[in-house]
Amino acid sequence: MRKELVDLSINGRRHELAVEPNRTLLDVLREDLRLTGTKCGCDDSSCGACTVVVDGQPMLSCLLLAVSYQDSQIQTIESLATQGELGALQRGFVQEGGSQCGFCTPGMVMSLHTLLESTADPTEEEVRAAISGNICRCTGYMQICRAVRHAVAEIREEEIREKERLHA
Amino acid sequence: MTLPEFTLLRPRNLPEAIDSLDRHRGDIQVIAGGTDLVPSLKQRLFAPRYLLDLKPIRDLRGIRNGHGLTIGAMTTVGAIADSPLVAEKFPVLAAAAAAIASPVLRTTGTLGGNLCLDTRCLWYNQSPFWRASCGFCLKKDGKVCHVAPGGEKCWAVFSGDTAPALLALGAEIEIASPRASRRLPLADFYTGDGMARIKLAGDEILTRVHLPESSAGLRGAYFKYRLRGSIDYPLAGVAVALDLAPDGTCRRGALAVTALNPKPQLIPGAEAALRGSRLSDDLLDRLAELTNRAIKPLSTSASTPDYRRHIARVFVRRAVRQAWQA
Ligand SMILES: Cc1cc2nc3c(=O)[nH]c(=O)nc-3n(C[C@H](O)[C@H](O)[C@H](O)COP(=O)(O)OP(=O)(O)OC[C@H]3O[C@@H](n4cnc5c(N)ncnc54)[C@H](O)[C@@H]3O)c2cc1C
Ligand code: SF4
Ligand code: FES
Ligand code: FES
Repeated sequence: MRKELVDLSINGRRHELAVEPNRTLLDVLREDLRLTGTKCGCDDSSCGACTVVVDGQPMLSCLLLAVSYQDSQIQTIESLATQGELGALQRGFVQEGGSQCGFCTPGMVMSLHTLLESTADPTEEEVRAAISGNICRCTGYMQICRAVRHAVAEIREEEIREKERLHA
Repeated sequence: MTLPEFTLLRPRNLPEAIDSLDRHRGDIQVIAGGTDLVPSLKQRLFAPRYLLDLKPIRDLRGIRNGHGLTIGAMTTVGAIADSPLVAEKFPVLAAAAAAIASPVLRTTGTLGGNLCLDTRCLWYNQSPFWRASCGFCLKKDGKVCHVAPGGEKCWAVFSGDTAPALLALGAEIEIASPRASRRLPLADFYTGDGMARIKLAGDEILTRVHLPESSAGLRGAYFKYRLRGSIDYPLAGVAVALDLAPDGTCRRGALAVTALNPKPQLIPGAEAALRGSRLSDDLLDRLAELTNRAIKPLSTSASTPDYRRHIARVFVRRAVRQAWQA
């Protein structure tokens, strides 16, 4: 099949590469760009493991045709750590045991990341709704909900410290 | 699973899209969000030479308020579920859209795709290996129907959530084609045949959905049966829209169902039963019985026909009561 030259914007960087039109974004991320943080759970659009953020919204990368998303900003789990240090949400998962086998984790985190972008202090119900398309076979979900609480508290403390620093 | 090979066409506007459909007739399929189509392509239920991507066509997107409401076919079902305007004017549609799949699919799936959804069946939505092991079936590659053997008809079920809500609201749809564009009641769009499910020619595109001003502000409720509380397609869905007089009598109302027949449909006789009535157990019984007569759940899914018939009657009672008392 003829490859197309595409220009994808992933985690703020442009990637030019040649891909076949029948390749999913998930395949291109993992196989061509070696961004293997994003997982393939079912490849059938039903588990949520492959969730990435496209133009601010969580989507299943196993059903997106990569060539169709050249005008979009794509964000994967790899974007959440800065200089090798995990983000607050990821630290929440570590602290609260929100990740066991880890397979659902990148998708969970990306779904929750979009929630926290729009809702700084979500209710328990909002947290559960946000991950209702992400299946976890290990944790039983409670630890994941606690991980969000942990992250929200940490972000708030950090903001208070930041304010105090500015006033000092 | 890999996708079959195809060429992806990305038209910049509607005339270009129609032109491509016309040119590659029989060998081309429209892709909107792809949430239904991509998994089906992976299962080799289709293998068109061309796919026509509707995403680049900007004016197929968005919710326009005017006389009633006009929703572009490429508007995501998530945008409809989250729209304060839809929630205020057409609560039953907001409820149905919010019940679709899961948040990560609602960001991608569109209203047009939801209305044009392929019908579903346990024997059909499977891998080629699975289907081959059962000798395939009428709908794809085979000669018999495993659900109703001996018959010539496919009973695969229409399983979209917004259709019953839109039917209860009296929605119309607009279709673009190389001939003149046409507008028809949504109720006339579905055939009731599990194979040729909708009246849409190969060179046509569903472009818009119109909700009439006369249905704005109707009370509504949507009840959906699915195996899990999220992700799953409906196995029975009931939508109701009601206009109540200040004294609580029903001036006008409609009841529609999905996921129980090869087409979503209004329940015949429900409008007449509702008009001028007050909420009573008698009325709820009558509506449940009218529904019972209109549906034909068969063994097309993981749930049994008996249970789906039962739950449809229960949901009719609950949905009507909830809408009435909301
Ligand atoms: C795990 C899973 C769960 C799901 N659960 C639900 C559910 O609970 N309820 C539900 O209703 N749906 C469900 N869906 C199906 C789907 O996500 C939605 O119905 C969605 O709205 C379909 O829209 P789409 O844009 O993705 O359609 P596509 O997949 O792009 O298209 C679907 C069909 O419609 C045709 N089509 C699309 N747009 C047009 C148009 N404008 N004109 C002409 N033809 C067109 C396509 O050719 C194709 O045949 C689920 C899907 C998955 C994968
Ligand atoms: S109803 Fe019969 S013909 Fe139709 S998909 Fe199911 S088994 Fe096949
Ligand atoms: S891998 Fe995409 S939803 Fe499971
Ligand atoms: S941690 Fe194993 S699936 Fe969620």
